[in-house]
Amino acid sequence: MTAVTTPRGVSPRFDGSLSSAHACLSFAVALRDDWLGHAFSTRPADRPAAEAALAGLYRLAGAPPPRFRWVPSPAAAQPVLRAERPAFTRPRLRAGEAPARWADWPVASRLASLQSALRTRLARRVEGPGQLWRRQRPPWSLAARTTADEDGLDDGYALRDILWTAVHDPLRTSVLDGPRPAIRTALLPAAGTEPLGLTFHGQHDAHWIGHHDVQARLGLASYPAGDARGLALWAAVARSAGWWWPGDGVCVVAERPVEVHTEPPPGARRGERRLNHPERPAVRYADGAAVYALYGTAVPRWVVTDPTVARIHGEPNVEVRRCAIERLGWDTYVDEAGLHLLATAPDPGNPGSHLRLYHVPRHVWGAPGRVLLAVNGSAEPDGGRRRYGLSVPAGIDDPVAAAGWSYGLTGAQYARLARRT
Amino acid sequence: MPTSASASASVTLADLTARTGLDVLAHLEREVTVPVVAGLQAQGDLIVVPLALLGDDVTVPPRAPWQTVPAGGVELLRGVAGGNPHTLVADPGTCRWTWRAGDRQGLALGVLDAREVAYLIHPEHGGTGIAPGRYAVRRQRERGEGTGRFGNRFIAD
Repeated sequence: MTAVTTPRGVSPRFDGSLSSAHACLSFAVALRDDWLGHAFSTRPADRPAAEAALAGLYRLAGAPPPRFRWVPSPAAAQPVLRAERPAFTRPRLRAGEAPARWADWPVASRLASLQSALRTRLARRVEGPGQLWRRQRPPWSLAARTTADEDGLDDGYALRDILWTAVHDPLRTSVLDGPRPAIRTALLPAAGTEPLGLTFHGQHDAHWIGHHDVQARLGLASYPAGDARGLALWAAVARSAGWWWPGDGVCVVAERPVEVHTEPPPGARRGERRLNHPERPAVRYADGAAVYALYGTAVPRWVVTDPTVARIHGEPNVEVRRCAIERLGWDTYVDEAGLHLLATAPDPGNPGSHLRLYHVPRHVWGAPGRVLLAVNGSAEPDGGRRRYGLSVPAGIDDPVAAAGWSYGLTGAQYARLARRT
Repeated sequence: MPTSASASASVTLADLTARTGLDVLAHLEREVTVPVVAGLQAQGDLIVVPLALLGDDVTVPPRAPWQTVPAGGVELLRGVAGGNPHTLVADPGTCRWTWRAGDRQGLALGVLDAREVAYLIHPEHGGTGIAPGRYAVRRQRERGEGTGRFGNRFIAD
């Protein structure tokens, strides 16, 4: 491995040898964790750095540096956007009304277009993950399910393939599928209301910036100088601030949260993290704006603080309903929701446990249905066994047939179950 | 009960985790022998079904690519948010796996073909042994919001 000095410091440069590949991979993993650190950072914003980078992006969009209005959270941005409304009105995407010249578009539209074009050009410089089988050897994307990244190198897989699973995928699942939608749902106006301004995600752009940054620092992708400078500006914003809303002449920027709780998903091997706190907000900003999440699922506050049957039945999102029922406990839910027990049967393969099939009256879920209550085959850490409910078709009257249906089997087939763990 | 007790069946959960590097939650009993089952068995949201039991519901095309299950195992399914994998493990060279199985119910992840005992490991459910033979591995579904066949959804615990 040779070390080369770049404007960002000393980076290993990939020269194709195995020892070099191992060094590059561990460097890439360190960079990935660094970017995850930025995405989940709770430090106060680095305002001078953020303002300098945002002014640089405005310059790329052909606009003079804006005034900056800092707010403590994305929730606090909305009143400011309303107060500064003329600067944040969105153009209508109708041919007859759209401005003809680039310079006449609002700065937010120009920035969105710059970002999108930059990402397209950067993506062209990075080779996609290989998908081909070679004889009996699966492509890395499949092999990665069972092989540690380091072992993949020893098995002859290419570093550039391994970086997709070692860097790109964990950043994406942890950031793009994690705090971004959770914060948007909890703190920004609901869909259907007229949105003001265009949201940019600052620290929560770390997934695409990190991916391209790692490729460049390892010397696996080279970007044209202009694109490298553009990427550096987006990266500087992601390292220094929370979400932001560019307007003409004024830019609203949110601080980062003051509290973030995550856990590695069970079995995570590549640094993945998901939002979770069983009692408190998983994300909290200085002004009290809060986002609740359980095991990676974003939920309304009541699911964590006060789940009730009435609230569960008023909740349209099935994932949220499931989370809430599990917090309440399936037994309690079945009692309080007034489900009618149709039949019980010993659970084949799960000695001492019973399957309980309930009828769900039409008024409960809006359509008649059945719920099968089963007991886990293995014990929880507290020694108890978790009950769980499965929704099954309304025509099934036999608990064993209902359990069989869930695996595509008949009742008679499922009755032969020898063991459940 | 089609539970065999061959010599290779005296494997404990501790042996399996040591052999594969996969881990399970601390409360699971590690020193008890993992039973080996020749018939139908379920591990959480997965079920292992002898192919013979399914008739022609699950088939493997003649040119399907098979992979030898490596020492680290084949991860069959992950739970929500990337967690809790079910991993198929076996002594090197004794078990094959293919993802290319056709299933009329659309639930099969693939088919395994074990010459010796293979195992399924899961962080919460522990380990279970699979006697030599051919099996389909299916995932679990539940009735979804919509109606009809495509109104169903998969379980991911």
